[in-house]
Amino acid sequence: MGSGIGWVIPLENGADCDERYIGGKAAKLAQLAHAGYRVPNGFCVTTLAYERFLEVGNLANTIRIELGRKPLESMRWEEIWDAALRIRLAFLAVPIPLDVSQTIEAALEKLSRVRAWAVRSSAPGEDSANRSFAGLHESRVGVVGNEAVLDAIRVVWASLWSDAALLYRRELSLDPTRSRMAVVIQEMIDEQPSGVAFGRDPRGTQRNQVIVEAVPGLCGDLVDGMVDPDRWILERSSGEILEWRAGDRPNDQTRDPILEIDDLNTLLQTLRNVETLLGWPPDVEWTGRAERFTLLQARPITTVDQESGDTRSWYLSLRPGERRLSSLAEQVAQELIPQLEGEGERFAAEALDSYDDKGLAAAIEERYTAVQKWRQIYLDEFIPFAHGVRHLGIYYNDAVRPEDPYEFVGLLKGQRMVASQRNQALVTLAHQLREDDALKDTVRQAVHIGNSDPAKGWQEVRAKIRALPRGEEFLREFEDLLRGHMDVAYGSDRLADRPESILKTVLEMAQAANRARQRPLDGVPADTDAKALEQRLFDAVGEDRREEATDALTIGRLSWRLRDDDNVLIGRLESQVLRALDLGANRLRAAGRLHAGAKVGIAAGPAVAEALKDVRGGPVILPAELETKHPSLTITAGETPRQLIGQPAAPGLATGRVRSVRSTEDLGHFHAGEVLVCDAIQPTMTHLVPLASAIVERRGGMLIHGAIIARELGIPCVNGVPNAVDLLHDGELVTVDGHLGIVTVGPPEFDLEGVT
Amino acid sequence: MNPHDEPVLGSDFEFGLEEAARDLTLPERIRNLVQGERFAVLCTQGQRQPYGSVVAFALSRDLRAAAFATPMTTRKYRLLSECARVALVIDNRGKHPNDMMKVEAITATGRAGQLQPGPEFDHWAGLLMARHPYLKSFVRAPSTALFRIDIVRYLYVTRFQEVRQWVPESGG
Repeated sequence: MGSGIGWVIPLENGADCDERYIGGKAAKLAQLAHAGYRVPNGFCVTTLAYERFLEVGNLANTIRIELGRKPLESMRWEEIWDAALRIRLAFLAVPIPLDVSQTIEAALEKLSRVRAWAVRSSAPGEDSANRSFAGLHESRVGVVGNEAVLDAIRVVWASLWSDAALLYRRELSLDPTRSRMAVVIQEMIDEQPSGVAFGRDPRGTQRNQVIVEAVPGLCGDLVDGMVDPDRWILERSSGEILEWRAGDRPNDQTRDPILEIDDLNTLLQTLRNVETLLGWPPDVEWTGRAERFTLLQARPITTVDQESGDTRSWYLSLRPGERRLSSLAEQVAQELIPQLEGEGERFAAEALDSYDDKGLAAAIEERYTAVQKWRQIYLDEFIPFAHGVRHLGIYYNDAVRPEDPYEFVGLLKGQRMVASQRNQALVTLAHQLREDDALKDTVRQAVHIGNSDPAKGWQEVRAKIRALPRGEEFLREFEDLLRGHMDVAYGSDRLADRPESILKTVLEMAQAANRARQRPLDGVPADTDAKALEQRLFDAVGEDRREEATDALTIGRLSWRLRDDDNVLIGRLESQVLRALDLGANRLRAAGRLHAGAKVGIAAGPAVAEALKDVRGGPVILPAELETKHPSLTITAGETPRQLIGQPAAPGLATGRVRSVRSTEDLGHFHAGEVLVCDAIQPTMTHLVPLASAIVERRGGMLIHGAIIARELGIPCVNGVPNAVDLLHDGELVTVDGHLGIVTVGPPEFDLEGVT
Repeated sequence: MNPHDEPVLGSDFEFGLEEAARDLTLPERIRNLVQGERFAVLCTQGQRQPYGSVVAFALSRDLRAAAFATPMTTRKYRLLSECARVALVIDNRGKHPNDMMKVEAITATGRAGQLQPGPEFDHWAGLLMARHPYLKSFVRAPSTALFRIDIVRYLYVTRFQEVRQWVPESGG
């Protein structure tokens, strides 16, 4: 430590210390303390301690491997979250070097009367006059005991590489070789009220205005958005109150302003003085009353700047806290999902054939609007609620410290989803075929005949099956399945419109059943069934936190189940738009106004409805369907992939022939034992998974449908393989290594010089 | 396509490290790598035993052939006379000692044949000496043999485990 800086620095000695060693937050607090403001007692764990921890634990390599797996810009947010989770667990698995931990413990002992600590991030360069990145790194409050403080320090260090920080890596200049993190450790102050105050209007419009927000309790409740604050707008020069708004707090009976004039005046004066001291209008967190204000933090104001196309703030909103998750759980499970289900059923029951063109146009518009509405709800409520699974993952990993960061996925097993009911119905039908050779043979012959007119072809298949002794019963159950479970959209098609394709899958399932698909989980220890994992979690948290753990479990499981269900249910709604659109498009075709081969997807809804209303209208031009854009692929002549890298999403090793599924048509061509290669396994197609020997997906993430179902069934899965569908060709032999996330293309043995 | 699938983050989110190579084609990446490295491990075989030696090498512009020189008294020379099938391993681990994810490596496989004095010999000797001027007398010594490897295939490895193949014959 040639700099003369140690592992820790008391805050009161930090005023002259280089920010590189103590980070932005600590540097500002030290300056405030030095200038005579009340700040909570404490000290800073320097960046040198972080460096030492990184070096001893060889963690720089872990970071590099996680971030180097593939170009970061081709990762989805979920994959970045996954990388951050692995880094976090690696940080938690390494003890703080003894020399560092002893120094920290000695610093804690010096302030022995402190009962609880706040452990906060203080990254160098995190806040400057030009920018401020609030909330990208973790902080822990109310930490009790030395051991817990040391734990919290590692969590804060790891948050230098949090998903949020990685999203802003360019602005933060995040670099595994250079980036460092200091940690501020301070006494918890439980004075009331608390709040934030901005030296200028953070919206950047009114320079002569100061904003003050206050809540009755802890500042964290305000910052986390859990409690609605009282809010004042003051004129900066005169201190005059321009506006006051009471916070909306249902359990708070008193409606008097939380702060008095004295408090507001002191805050205003503090803001002015802090601005003079630090050189920029600050955003301060404070607690206490006029005569005893304590400053918890000061940083430059982050101006709300909604850059066009910058979706990162949305990604950050996908990590709701525990309480927000609880309220989302209630809303999603009890209100939204039943509503969504009801709407789908109502649309499905409507007899559209009897409507005239205007009536049909209205039906299309109603369905189209409903789908748009639910897609928005999906973004605003369903996706954030999906974080419940991730929340459970972090909770489990923090408590249990397992070797495998995804061990917690075992806790999600056995959830009764809409899709599992469908899969069960398929299994039952497959069973009937297996028991009855005549039926099986007839079905096999029937589905392979093919017919240029699918509807007519299906009628012929039906007639043949019906003629068999147990055909009637089979057909009835099959058609129940079509109505009950397959009336969903897959792209611009309705699965229910493809009965032969689904029948082929049933046939494949019947044939594959002999191969005992329900094999034991490969690579996952036998004791990691849901009950055992649950016990492991309860043992780790102890009796005191059992209720909290139960909540995390309940929310995680509900979140996982509903995350699947909401997709299927929206698929049902989309199917109803397509049903109405099909009917409308056929009428337009019959009138010669729409090209016979025109593909009518959901985006065509408004155009088709308008055309139906306009009886004298001319030819109809449909908007192009939106395609998801993926990075383009540059392949030189003579180039072939040999090993593709992705996420090790479900453990296991399997070799098989590639079968790409890109369309509804392909679903029926999938044969048992093939390697399922697709853009993304959607809940509407998870019934193929048990047939596959392995799975390769373009869409990446350890917690996406394909990954979790594959893991549950013990099928190796590698996902996050860019351009998987373009790089792998049907019939090609591949080996999927779900332990390492590698797809090897070509036979295991090959003659290197065979090409000459 | 799943309308609910959020897209990847896109090029605005690039990491800001050395990623200049990202848009290059595979042959361009291979060319960049071999231009930056002057030595390779030559892998030979004989008597059912693999054998490795570090050699100074030069490569043709079209990446279809490489050359190296060896004293005729060496084990590798003897092995080459037994079996012409060889591999050349070239990597830049020296540039990234602390970051294996950035290390690039190629294994080039092909057949090695000794060049006899003549225009072909002069051409390759010239290429090798231009790259390694200090080897002039070594290359010209009567007891030194000059070999040309006709490269059949490249296996290019990056990010620790991502492997792509390129067969120059079938491409430009």
